Amino acid sequence: MSIIQATNIERSFGEGDLRIQVLKGISVQIDQGEFLAIMGKSGAGKSTLMYQLSVLDKPTSGTVVVDGVNVSELSESEQTDFRLRTLGYIFQDYALVPDLNARENIMVPLLMRNLPWDEARAIADAALDAVGLQGKYENLPSQLSGGEQQRVSIARAVAGKPKIIFADEPTANLDSVSGASIIDLLGDLHKQGQTIVMVTHEDEYTSYCNRIIYMEDGLVVEERKQ
Amino acid sequence: MQALRLGFLLGLRQIQRSSRWTTLLIIFVMMFTFLNLIAVSGILVGLIVGAERAVRESSYGDLIISPRAEEKHILETPTIVREIEQYPEIRGYSVRYQGAAELEANYKERRSLTAERDVASVKVTGIDPVQEDTMTGLSSLLVEGDYLDPREEGKILIGVYYIKEYAEQYGDIFETIEDIHPGDTVRLTAGDVSKEFEVKGIVESKVDEVNLNTYIPEREFRRLFGRLDQNADQIVMKLTVPSENAALKASFVEDGFANYAKIQTYEESVPKFLADIKNTFNLLGTFIGSIGIIVASITIFIIIFINALSRRRHIGILKGIGINAHVIEIAYVMQAAFYALIGSAIGAVLTYGVLIPYFDANPIKFPFSDGILVAEPMDTLYKFITLFVITLIAGYLPAKLITRENTLNAILGRK
Repeated sequence: MSIIQATNIERSFGEGDLRIQVLKGISVQIDQGEFLAIMGKSGAGKSTLMYQLSVLDKPTSGTVVVDGVNVSELSESEQTDFRLRTLGYIFQDYALVPDLNARENIMVPLLMRNLPWDEARAIADAALDAVGLQGKYENLPSQLSGGEQQRVSIARAVAGKPKIIFADEPTANLDSVSGASIIDLLGDLHKQGQTIVMVTHEDEYTSYCNRIIYMEDGLVVEERKQ
Repeated sequence: MQALRLGFLLGLRQIQRSSRWTTLLIIFVMMFTFLNLIAVSGILVGLIVGAERAVRESSYGDLIISPRAEEKHILETPTIVREIEQYPEIRGYSVRYQGAAELEANYKERRSLTAERDVASVKVTGIDPVQEDTMTGLSSLLVEGDYLDPREEGKILIGVYYIKEYAEQYGDIFETIEDIHPGDTVRLTAGDVSKEFEVKGIVESKVDEVNLNTYIPEREFRRLFGRLDQNADQIVMKLTVPSENAALKASFVEDGFANYAKIQTYEESVPKFLADIKNTFNLLGTFIGSIGIIVASITIFIIIFINALSRRRHIGILKGIGINAHVIEIAYVMQAAFYALIGSAIGAVLTYGVLIPYFDANPIKFPFSDGILVAEPMDTLYKFITLFVITLIAGYLPAKLITRENTLNAILGRK
């Protein structure tokens, strides 16, 4: 059963002669429980594709249906609410709020979903425990290593039990050991039935993926199941 | 409600994690804005209030009895005075007799009858020296000589505006006599009656009522002016609790005093022009303060804008993970509110705890007034509310501008 259905999506930037078409009519279907990797060289359009699928950007043309909702038709605030309730994000540079400690970074989206304070706190602590950050609840991002920050980012992504997790080059800023452990965490989540879409350019981190699509010049040029 | 709570959390954490020096600087700006708003108009109004206070203390008192419109003098003055003495709320009073006379000096040195006489038309007030001193502290206003002794006769106190050496600094606007000091002899002429007086002292006050006056004992006044009926021209009273003057006036009216004289509280007797000046100064102060508010709102706008701009990416991340733009706006408005509240609170403590007591103890010396700082609590509250609301708007607008940006552009730092 597909959870994401993107049809003939195009994305271009700029106007007139300066117009650059980054996505040139891509159609992708992602099934629930799938762990999909989007790969390609730099400038191939893989991150741009992920932004369209993850409701962070709107395609110039084409439609994106996520969890049965045509997200291209949602307003800005509806998209924000949709992201809150349906999606989880892991960014390349962790994207934690520096003013908030690890626990608060996880609690904020939970509180936004109207969870009681104590419940949000308990979920945040459990999520941090699950990614191996016991006792670091009150550490600020600046007091954590890169690997630890990415773990907080994963904990934040999974704490709200999203239907899909999007990971944009989650290992790019990490050493190989930390990178491997992050991929292991994602693999564990996938084993529990989590749908994950990951952008990466590193083949060694695709071992847990059951499908890989390769992009080149704004088009999907190859698709491989494993 | 949850959005408000979350906005508060984000705002609080931003304040906690931001540079202490920056926070202190912003609070300082807000504090000085508050002081500018309160103190500038407060000192301007304080000039007039200081003048009013001086008039009240040195001349009019809290309650004034004067002749009814159709009468020349206060009728049944001795009866009224006897009644006044029955009121324990009256701390002091003075019965005054007033008239106009010609004051002449240096007449003994005048060699020729055709030479110009050294004369001035003056106001003469007959007083009981002890009563008057209790009432207005006249003896404390001496700049030369001594105060009147009730046992003495033939002595006079002269206000400085009638003495050339003192008055010439204001130009040639007063009629004056020249080179007069305590011990010199002057002559008062009222109608056909003249009497010589020895100058006992020269008095100076912030109040023109005193500077443009001469004082002699009331017995001699009545003899000089032929006032044998003891009906006075003015009775002024000082109360233990000045603000109870309206109640005491009502009591006097109830006792039938109004049949013999006009009774006014100090507030009723204040000339309209003084009230107009006070309102004008208040308006001027508010205008200057308003400029301060505009400057402060621009400052807050810039501070919050720079703050939000420097956190543009974090705002993008928050929106990216599903945090509503209103929550982020609340966080910035909360910061602006924090700066306004703390700055104003420190400003209020300084105003009421330091500046007002200081200026009360050390008034600013102006020629016509001892200027104090006036800050009515209700007026301060209104000004604070104005400052607070404008600060909130100044905090909200830049936050709104930043949160309206495209989420992905903010996250990626794209223009």
